[in-house]
Amino acid sequence: MIKKHAGFGSLSRRNLVKAGVAVGLSQLAAPFVISARGDTPIKIGFDNPLTGTYAAPGKNELIGCQLAVDQLNAKNGILGRKVELLIEDSTSGDAGTAVQKARKLIERDNVDFLVGNVNSALAQAMAQVSNEKGVLHIVPGGHTDPITGMDCKWNVFRVCNTTRMEANAVSSLLFKTYGKRWHFITPDYAFGHTLFQGCEADLKKLGGTVTGNELTPLGITDFSAYLIKARAANPDVLVVLVQGNDMVNCLKQISQFGIEKQIHVAGTQQELESVEAMPPEARVGVWMFEWYWKQAAGTPGLDQFIAEIRKRADGKVPTARTWFGYVTIHAYAMACENAKSIEAKAVAKALADMELPPEIKLQPNKVYFRAGDHQLMLSAFIGELRKKGEGDPENLFKVNSIVAGESIAPSIADTGCKMTMPS
Amino acid sequence: MLQLLFFNITNGLIIGAFYALMALGLSLILNLSGVINFAHGGFLVIGGYLAYTLTPFLGFWGALVVAPPLTAIIGFVVERLLIRRLYGRDPLYSLLLTFGLAFIIEDGTRQIWGAQGLPVSIPAALSSPLSNDLFFITGYRMFMVAIVAVAIAVLFVLFRYTRIGVRIRAGTLDLETVAALGVNVGALRSLNFAVGIFLAGLAGVLAGGQLGLEPTMGDGLLMPSFIAIIVGGVGSLTGTLIGGLLIGVASGLTAVFFPSASEAIIYVMMAIVLLVRPRGLLGEEGMLT
Repeated sequence: MIKKHAGFGSLSRRNLVKAGVAVGLSQLAAPFVISARGDTPIKIGFDNPLTGTYAAPGKNELIGCQLAVDQLNAKNGILGRKVELLIEDSTSGDAGTAVQKARKLIERDNVDFLVGNVNSALAQAMAQVSNEKGVLHIVPGGHTDPITGMDCKWNVFRVCNTTRMEANAVSSLLFKTYGKRWHFITPDYAFGHTLFQGCEADLKKLGGTVTGNELTPLGITDFSAYLIKARAANPDVLVVLVQGNDMVNCLKQISQFGIEKQIHVAGTQQELESVEAMPPEARVGVWMFEWYWKQAAGTPGLDQFIAEIRKRADGKVPTARTWFGYVTIHAYAMACENAKSIEAKAVAKALADMELPPEIKLQPNKVYFRAGDHQLMLSAFIGELRKKGEGDPENLFKVNSIVAGESIAPSIADTGCKMTMPS
Repeated sequence: MLQLLFFNITNGLIIGAFYALMALGLSLILNLSGVINFAHGGFLVIGGYLAYTLTPFLGFWGALVVAPPLTAIIGFVVERLLIRRLYGRDPLYSLLLTFGLAFIIEDGTRQIWGAQGLPVSIPAALSSPLSNDLFFITGYRMFMVAIVAVAIAVLFVLFRYTRIGVRIRAGTLDLETVAALGVNVGALRSLNFAVGIFLAGLAGVLAGGQLGLEPTMGDGLLMPSFIAIIVGGVGSLTGTLIGGLLIGVASGLTAVFFPSASEAIIYVMMAIVLLVRPRGLLGEEGMLT
């Protein structure tokens, strides 16, 4: 026991003087440290799910980020400095962990830029922290409206769509082609609620009716009870809003019950990760993708992007998630270069209204961050699922139209965002 | 409305039968060894993924036969190497161990088979509904219920008519006396554990066909199984079966009237049972102390 105290006890006068001299010298040396800062890397903190329900999208976003970081470092880095990616697992649903990791990245690792999260609720919680600390933050893939709406913040930007944009992208098409009585299967959390509200508002405007909305707990494995109810309501369209594994389970049961033969099945957001996890018979309906890899030949940089991702993802093609990660890092780098600074306010100003160049946006239409709500105006890829891949096993979606983000986004006044930059 | 009720009760029984299959395995292990096996969902995942890997070579039916015993062997090894060291200690130790194992299995699965879900196709003969009206009764779901029924019948025969079964039952009631009578309790527990994991593996193969495979798929199925045991009563396999069916029906019926509470209802049921009859419907008194 006595030994344990020795460390403190041995702090003799001599040592104290030595320490004082050392501190003094380090003060003198300080100018050198600052001048050497050009060589210290720019740190990017990645706080996204790597385990749990959202591990697959989280990892794909990571692959996209890593590709972008490697591309930057192969050239000139950002402002001549190397870029370093610090990776943390936020878990899929534990806001406490996500916040703790965000704080660790900001306070201990001193990251210059924060990335995350797939889960809307976690993204919102992280935005509180980044805002409090004044660190620039891009949400690559959490969709709930308030992030760039009611709760918008000067330091927070978002790459993926808002739920309202997703609803607007498909509503009128579904109404025209399938009919006006809709029944919803909605995940019972922030993302699902705002997505349903968006669809409901669109449907009412078009003159249709909601026959019912089944709120399902996140991660539920059996949808049969909801499907029995939905079929009993006899709607024209069954709109499936659940995501991830829930989507896979739900569509699988829909096809096993043969419901898609009696009622049109459709939804808003669909992802390649989910479609690949479904057996062929479950791949039905009209959907929107936020980005899709199979596009018109000649899209600048697309082939190279696909080839690079295939190298990193065991031969798999990029998904919307991979693209989110890729865009997040490149947009940040571009804004830093434009601002000639990595200071958060300067970079935020540079990001506002910044348009993405062809080799980064990898799609038609103008893609830019709207200054009023910091939301990226990205295209919506609308089409139908294929049962079997065409030309490539992973070409599981037939794109019918690519709609510009501007045309489906609500006006800034409607988002409820009042953006104020700190002075 | 009446039809909707009937549909949901039938549907609830089908779901409940599946919960019961999971819960029976858990219950076996809990009864004899006093281990609350949090890794049960993990073993379910192992069973499902093994079947997925075997299907290209053996077909669906071959995988259904081979994957559960393989899972049981893995379970047997885990019991011999890890879990048996904690018998006789506070149940908290084995609970923590299996809790950790659950994470290790989940992440191991992700490392081997990838984070993205994998599609499982079921044989065409089982994939269509019985009729247009009874669309929710598909061939596959009937098949699942049949498998559960067979598993329960086999367990019944095992416990009623075989020496090992009788020893396991006796051990559940009074392990010390059984040991004093010269039964090798260690071997009995290992075997019993393997049987429990066999049921988890079987549930995994069946769940794969119904839901598709995904490293976290065991999580959503584990809690209802625990609740089935608590509602049915610790120490009673019949109770576990009834508990599974009851929560299936309760969650099906709630989905009709108050969909967002269909998951919460089973926890409410558990709370009521714990307050009114803490030992569960058919449970032995003082099994979990």
